[in-house]
Amino acid sequence: MYLALFLTPWVLMYALSTMAMNHRGFFKNLYGTGPAPYEVEKEQTCVRKFSSDATTAAIAKQLLKDLGLEGTYTVRGSIGGGRLTILRQDPVSPRRITYTAADGRLLVEKEVFRVPAFLERMHRRRGYQHKYLIEDAWASSVDAFIVAMIFWAGSGLWMWWELGETRRWGAISAACGVALFALFLLKL
Amino acid sequence: MTFNLVVRRIHLYLALFLFPWFLMYGISSVPFSHAAYFDQRNRGMPMWHLRTERPYDLEIPENANLDEIGARIFKDSGLDGSFGTYRPNERQIDVYVYTFWKSSQAKYLIDQKRLVVEDRRFRWDHFLTGMHARGGYEHPAFLEYAWAGVVDLVCLGFIVWIATGIYMWWQLRRTRSWGFLALGSGVLLFLVFLLAL
Repeated sequence: MYLALFLTPWVLMYALSTMAMNHRGFFKNLYGTGPAPYEVEKEQTCVRKFSSDATTAAIAKQLLKDLGLEGTYTVRGSIGGGRLTILRQDPVSPRRITYTAADGRLLVEKEVFRVPAFLERMHRRRGYQHKYLIEDAWASSVDAFIVAMIFWAGSGLWMWWELGETRRWGAISAACGVALFALFLLKL
Repeated sequence: MTFNLVVRRIHLYLALFLFPWFLMYGISSVPFSHAAYFDQRNRGMPMWHLRTERPYDLEIPENANLDEIGARIFKDSGLDGSFGTYRPNERQIDVYVYTFWKSSQAKYLIDQKRLVVEDRRFRWDHFLTGMHARGGYEHPAFLEYAWAGVVDLVCLGFIVWIATGIYMWWQLRRTRSWGFLALGSGVLLFLVFLLAL
């Protein structure tokens, strides 16, 4: 019970996000196809000079630090090519930062907030591939949720069996569920 | 029958009915969360096996409907199941056929006028992740709709378990303070993740 209470926000997030993904067609009609648009948040000049041997990743990391937006990101382009585009993967407000090397211009754009996109980002966030401690902590919480689900399945069965008067209807419910699941397994 | 008992029975019987999905979503989350490990285990093994390759000529009009073309390629490939059509570039149209146990693809190479049909090698992690990711009402087949309906039911089930679980916790007076602590710390930690990720 205490584990379930602790993990309630995760349960709610996974339920709502799954529902949003299951009704993608509805949201496409609502918002149109394609990703959410970006809106300009700020525009500034970066006075910092980067050495010629600085890697793209190091430059992107430094720019994010200067902007106070440190965290997980992907980066496209290169200083040699004249432009870097950094996608900061913030779950609530993803940002696109475009750095133009010639004039040091920094354009910071924020993705327009949409509930289904936010839920899907949270749902899909997982794994230990990132360099930030907070990302590993989140991945651990996802793993804890997985272990909890498997534990709830086992403990739920045990608690049901302990309630003698519910065994008959419980067995009917479980058998119907297993039969339907087996049908899907064979036919889909 | 009291309200209290109704809540308890809904909580229990819904969980027992949806037990296979609950367990499936739990177990299938492992290969999602540890994808690198499973990819490492299968490194070097070919993903696709060639089934057939033959000359094929299908005219693709300028404003062609991709779904209609996909349906034609699907039929001519001798594939079976629900399918999706994709056009990765101007020179190729892919028809991807997926069932829980087997996946195949037909690739129409437009400029070479060739049709290549391949089967995907079975992997347990793909079987689980495929089942986990399946959903949506885009496919017209009845069973696809029914599966999507059950996915919605599972989501509603989760929400009902939260509501009935909180109700049942509240009935147990002696667990309220520790319950508050558990719920409060969970909400707080989740908010920290939202702000810091």
